[in-house]
Amino acid sequence: MAATLTAGAPARPRKLLASRRTRVGILYALPVVVYLLVLFVYPIFSTLLLSLKDADGSFTLHWYADALTGVNLSVLFTTLRISAETAVLSLVFGFVLAQAITRLKPILAGLAMLVVVVPHFVSALVRTYGWIIMLGDKGLVNESLTSMSVPGAPFQLLYNELGVVIGTTSMMLPYTVLLLYGVMRGVDRRLLAAASSMGAGKVTIFRRIYLPLVAPGLASAGLLSFILSLGYYITPALMGGPNQTMIATLINQQVTKENQWNGAAAQGVILLVLTLAGLLLVKAVTSLGASRKKRSA
Amino acid sequence: MAEFGIAAPSVKVAGVKSATATGKALSVVALRKTYGDVVAVDEASMEIAAGEFVTFLGSSGSGKTTTLMMIAGFCEPDSGTITVGGRDVTRLAPQKRGLGFVFQQYLLFPHMTVAENVAFPLTLRGVPKDEIRRRVGETLEIAGLSGFGGRKPRELSGGQQQRVALCRALVYRPPVILMDEPLGALDKKLRDQLQVEIKTIQQELGLTVIYVTHDQEEALVMSDRIAVMRNGLIEQFDTPRELFERPRTPFVADFLGAANFLPGRIEQHDGEHTLVRLDNSGGLIKARHHDLASGTRVKVAVQPGRLRACAAGDGFCTGTVENATYVGTLVRAGIRIDGGDGPLLRLEVPAGRGPVAGERVGISADPEDVNLFPTDEKAG
Amino acid sequence: MMELRKTLAGRIALTAVATVVLLFLALPIVVILVTSFSNNAFASFPPETWTLNWYKALFADGSKWPAALSLSALVAALSTVFSLVIGVTAATALVRSELPLRSAVFALVLGPLVIPQIVTALGLFLFFEPAAMLGSPIAIALGHTVLASPIAVLILIATLRGIDERLEDAAASMGAGRLTIARKITFPLAAPGMIAAAIFSFITSFDEFYISQFLSSVDTVTLPVQVYNSLTFEIDPSVTAVSAILIAFAILALGLVALVRWLGSGRQDSLLSVENTVGVANPGGEAV
Repeated sequence: MAATLTAGAPARPRKLLASRRTRVGILYALPVVVYLLVLFVYPIFSTLLLSLKDADGSFTLHWYADALTGVNLSVLFTTLRISAETAVLSLVFGFVLAQAITRLKPILAGLAMLVVVVPHFVSALVRTYGWIIMLGDKGLVNESLTSMSVPGAPFQLLYNELGVVIGTTSMMLPYTVLLLYGVMRGVDRRLLAAASSMGAGKVTIFRRIYLPLVAPGLASAGLLSFILSLGYYITPALMGGPNQTMIATLINQQVTKENQWNGAAAQGVILLVLTLAGLLLVKAVTSLGASRKKRSA
Repeated sequence: MAEFGIAAPSVKVAGVKSATATGKALSVVALRKTYGDVVAVDEASMEIAAGEFVTFLGSSGSGKTTTLMMIAGFCEPDSGTITVGGRDVTRLAPQKRGLGFVFQQYLLFPHMTVAENVAFPLTLRGVPKDEIRRRVGETLEIAGLSGFGGRKPRELSGGQQQRVALCRALVYRPPVILMDEPLGALDKKLRDQLQVEIKTIQQELGLTVIYVTHDQEEALVMSDRIAVMRNGLIEQFDTPRELFERPRTPFVADFLGAANFLPGRIEQHDGEHTLVRLDNSGGLIKARHHDLASGTRVKVAVQPGRLRACAAGDGFCTGTVENATYVGTLVRAGIRIDGGDGPLLRLEVPAGRGPVAGERVGISADPEDVNLFPTDEKAG
Repeated sequence: MMELRKTLAGRIALTAVATVVLLFLALPIVVILVTSFSNNAFASFPPETWTLNWYKALFADGSKWPAALSLSALVAALSTVFSLVIGVTAATALVRSELPLRSAVFALVLGPLVIPQIVTALGLFLFFEPAAMLGSPIAIALGHTVLASPIAVLILIATLRGIDERLEDAAASMGAGRLTIARKITFPLAAPGMIAAAIFSFITSFDEFYISQFLSSVDTVTLPVQVYNSLTFEIDPSVTAVSAILIAFAILALGLVALVRWLGSGRQDSLLSVENTVGVANPGGEAV
């Protein structure tokens, strides 16, 4: 068919070919775009609208005023606090574990990574339940501490902030370990060798070469676990007490128990804005890291 | 193959055309391809005879690969015609052209064994199983790969993988096999060996091969004819000997032989020879006859290997040997010509009789080895 | 890093801390597996006596677990089908075509992965509630697909990128048509990625909690919602057994993905290598 085209219309076939690829692209992109516009973008957009609507349908900001005052405000602060604690802890422990894995023998490193990855794919609900069993008054932890005659045992490890942070940290750890492991593998070992050939001591190499190289990765891993914690619900709800109510729990309560959709929508939007702000920060940090890498290359 | 009636080009074809020749003739007429404002290939035309080994030689961006891709069908020309064995394939999809293609990156199917890779084009053609087995076996044997049929591509070395890729293109006897820098990823020794193997197979089977490379030596070793390409233009399409000895443009003289260029002016014609007065030394050099008027400004081109050292005062100029480097069978010398401030004259002579640094030598050349290219007067 | 390597004390310290962190990750899972066979299913460890009663109780008359399990399986199967269709088409568009606004489409695909799931769930609740579709398995599956399809897209993008497009050119040069190329070259090479995408979509849906909870009704409760309910309201000791089954299921699926990946990569790394494990955990990682 194409063979019948003569050389008289030189530009046409090429254009046809290019636009055929474009048309195929649009056709194939259609399902995902339509699907997510209808079932993801539109619902979030209507959430936004609902949060700005009064009971009679007129425009209002009082759902946001509600969300940012009184108990709701303290819930927001609790959310930020618990997320920050989780981010710091999962970053520190994630760093140590990732560091250890990069230095282990291949087989041991593989096994260690397996221990990181398997929980990552076990439902958070199930893992939270595991912690509840472990941290109870007669759980593994307290039993062990008691049998070692640790003074003060058994401790209250559940239904308080300690419990929540233990739980959320264990949920975030696989993320930070995987991210940091990737960052550490990306460090060119020859740079460290070069530094030591110039007479740099081990501490200097770590502080002046290694840390700056992994710093952007550390920052984005920390930010990411902070963001992910913000919207967390299962663990705080099951392992926390009344003082550890987080914003997601509040949203859930308002929808399922109080039928207070507008308030829930406003809180959802606040959560969304916080998340997006965090993501922008991650992006800034990543591009900073990328430009640093480019300069060093 | 004769029924397609494509006239063989007038030049001698060195390739052996056996009775079992499977290759067909290919002709390209006024092929043109542009990318935006950039002309990648500009009105390229050539006639390639059945059983001929033709190389497109040029540096990157010369248009050699684009031309090959247009012949293969991976890239559509803006205008022009491509005919294979008398059939116009210009607007056909690659799979409808029936050509063979060997890629630089081998591109063996990783999920198939060597035998399955080679059998793939035959299964597409509905060849019966028994015959597939026989032909795959035969082809692998030709390439020295018997016994490798059950292996996966990644278990082979680069050279072996390229041999498999070659088999895969050979096995269905395509009228023309296109090869895009097939040896580019291999080391020198393997490359030399495979050059000979590919050339031998091509001659034995009478294949028409179009080969793309940027390596002059490779082109000279393998080709019946070479198309030297630059900036989308075919500078010259000739046998290696013609290209080397009778370059038609300074670019070809430089690209194939790294010629010395000496500016000068045609002084007179002397029967079979043209005499040129050189600018820098004021010497007179004798070239074979060129059809240029006296007084024309020219560039005199002589390959370093075609210059001879003689006694000082003899030859077309005299100079001092500034450096002499021993490179195995040859000595490469740089000569500072008396009265000249241009680049050193490069000279290659057999080792043992080579000049030494500081020596005064005369330089001479056989008029047959001296090429003249008229230069623009203003550029002078 | 280097400064710790040389000193024995530093090495021991690092190993010790790493071991503790690993235990921290592994213990909650191990504890559930062990406790599910314990006579006292709640908060006692190690168990004093062993039993299979909790597993038996799962299928006793009046148990809510079989219904929840089959609902979750149905929903996950539907989501997997939806996600694969969306994934294959979207990855083809993003990798193998000239798509206008490509980065916008890609950002849209990443959206559900970075936005808090509770927000997505709330939006879907507001979307399906007026349509009176709360409790419909289809609605839940459609909702889960919002989360599962981006994962499928990422996995398949990475898969398609890993297939040298010029292999298809090579096949075309030998005379293979579009359909033959898809069937004989692209599909076999993409199969491991498609299997991985299917498994991850299924797991994502099967374990999903937020959307399920918002979209469930009294009659339609998915397994995770049932687990949550039995942990908060109705004390049901069988939850330990269910949790253990969920863990076994996750490990099985992960093992399958690892196996497929390993076979697909031509058994290059060892099955248990760090690279293979990281690749399994981060299946679309190369695409981002």
